[in-house]
Amino acid sequence: MRRQFKDTITDIAARDDRAVVILGDISHYLFSAFQEKHPSRFYNMGICENALISVAAGLSSQGFHPFVHTIAPFITERSLEQIKLDMCYNEFGGNILSCGASFDYAWDGATHHCYSDLEILRLLPGMEVIQPGSRKELDILLRSQYDNGRPTYFKLSDNPHNIDLDVRFGKGVVMKDVGADVTVVTAGPLLANVLEACKDLSVNLLYFHTIKPIDTEIIARFRKTRFLVVHDGFGLREAINEVPGLHTAYHGLPDEFCVWYGTVHDIRKEIGLDPAGIRQAVAGFAAGA
Amino acid sequence: MHPDCKQIRRNILMASKASGHGHIPTSFSIVEMIYATYRAMKHNPAEPAWAERDIFILSKGHGALGYYCVLANAGYFPVEAVKTFGAYLSRFGCHPDRRKVPGVEASTGSLGHGIGIAVGMALAFKLRNSPRRVFTLIGDGEANEGSTWEAIMVAVNLGLPNLTILVDFNKSQVRSLPIQNPGERLKAFGCEVHDVDGHDVPELASALQASARGVKAIVANTVKGFGCPTMEENMFEWHRKSPDEKQYDELLRELDARSVAA
Repeated sequence: MRRQFKDTITDIAARDDRAVVILGDISHYLFSAFQEKHPSRFYNMGICENALISVAAGLSSQGFHPFVHTIAPFITERSLEQIKLDMCYNEFGGNILSCGASFDYAWDGATHHCYSDLEILRLLPGMEVIQPGSRKELDILLRSQYDNGRPTYFKLSDNPHNIDLDVRFGKGVVMKDVGADVTVVTAGPLLANVLEACKDLSVNLLYFHTIKPIDTEIIARFRKTRFLVVHDGFGLREAINEVPGLHTAYHGLPDEFCVWYGTVHDIRKEIGLDPAGIRQAVAGFAAGA
Repeated sequence: MHPDCKQIRRNILMASKASGHGHIPTSFSIVEMIYATYRAMKHNPAEPAWAERDIFILSKGHGALGYYCVLANAGYFPVEAVKTFGAYLSRFGCHPDRRKVPGVEASTGSLGHGIGIAVGMALAFKLRNSPRRVFTLIGDGEANEGSTWEAIMVAVNLGLPNLTILVDFNKSQVRSLPIQNPGERLKAFGCEVHDVDGHDVPELASALQASARGVKAIVANTVKGFGCPTMEENMFEWHRKSPDEKQYDELLRELDARSVAA
């Protein structure tokens, strides 16, 4: 997905001289061609995430469209106050694109995991929060949102799904509607596992790439069903519950650090977010367990 | 004391007494710094959003009362309005809000933020080859924040001669984490440093006008509560205090006893 980010921003920058890339000393060589083409609009600014956001806010205040990029926990959890105040409270926009979604850096341990970003940023007034699941979704959503003057977060993953969806900002997708009394909800790359797990189960399936604003209309259509949110992060279940009166349950992260190393697939299996684990959880929920 | 700065201090006392909110000593330490900066800047009080204006950001947002009274002195709004300082539905919060106060360019309050925004603005003007300049005022207490030094490192690395950092060196951190020798520290970080008397308007003006090849830092040696010995000698007691009638009269008397100079 990072490569798609590079391709999309390279195309945007060729047509919009207000686009400026700010890296936190990551993906540097990925952007070599961009740097060569637009040297005055490429800054590998250093390992200083607080400053990256503040500087981006300052650039945005003067009409530029900054794209800040570094590892998810450092740019979101560490710089939460800069995003809250310098971007949201000041109403200076900017695009934040992280890498290392949830457990992409499983082998690096809990310091590099990030699963609260969607939730903490969702709480900030004026913030847009996006978890694209595929390269195509990133391309569509980045092009549609980058220049709207609002602070926008894109949670990028190195393990996207490859399901071809035509998406639109702020609109959820009905993947499956079988009239069941259980609706499974997911977001981002985990869709691949959820879809496989549910393929022959009698459940409805909703998919979201935009966490804020959440598509309340599509949720409301299924309000008479019981919802099971299956997600490798926090924020989606909380967003779903913006629609009052829902019966929701959550299958995802445990209340402990996921310190087993390996790959994202190992972590997902350990916590029941592989297809088999999800299938078991959904089947149990549908059976009323 | 410069006569305008004496009047600005009178207004600070008046607004604090009227509103019941304080932060007078920190406002008193920065009066000349902001006053001299606005005299050096290109700006237009009749048109705060003038496209060619220079930018000032009060990174130490708790000096807002002093800032408002300097802006009022410059003609952005009548000083009487500042009497609502901190009141419900007032434009004038105890920390400045850019969406409410004409002339305020960034909403600040949490320390270590405004300077980073200032760096981004200076970079924006550099990218546009614009002659516009950016000035930001930080406190020595604010320099406890790591984000302050991140911003300075980035600014120096970017090469921003259009950025001036004013440091209010009022030594208020003596009881916790003092910033010793800020000029040496800023120089070590790559800034072009000017060390001045922060209550001497001509000296500040000279430093503000000096040309620079990189980021300029002006270390202004100041006294918290400058102008009123009662506050100078009791800066912690007066940190957020507002004067009652008797204290107000006494502070005014102390202020008026100061000699006036250009």
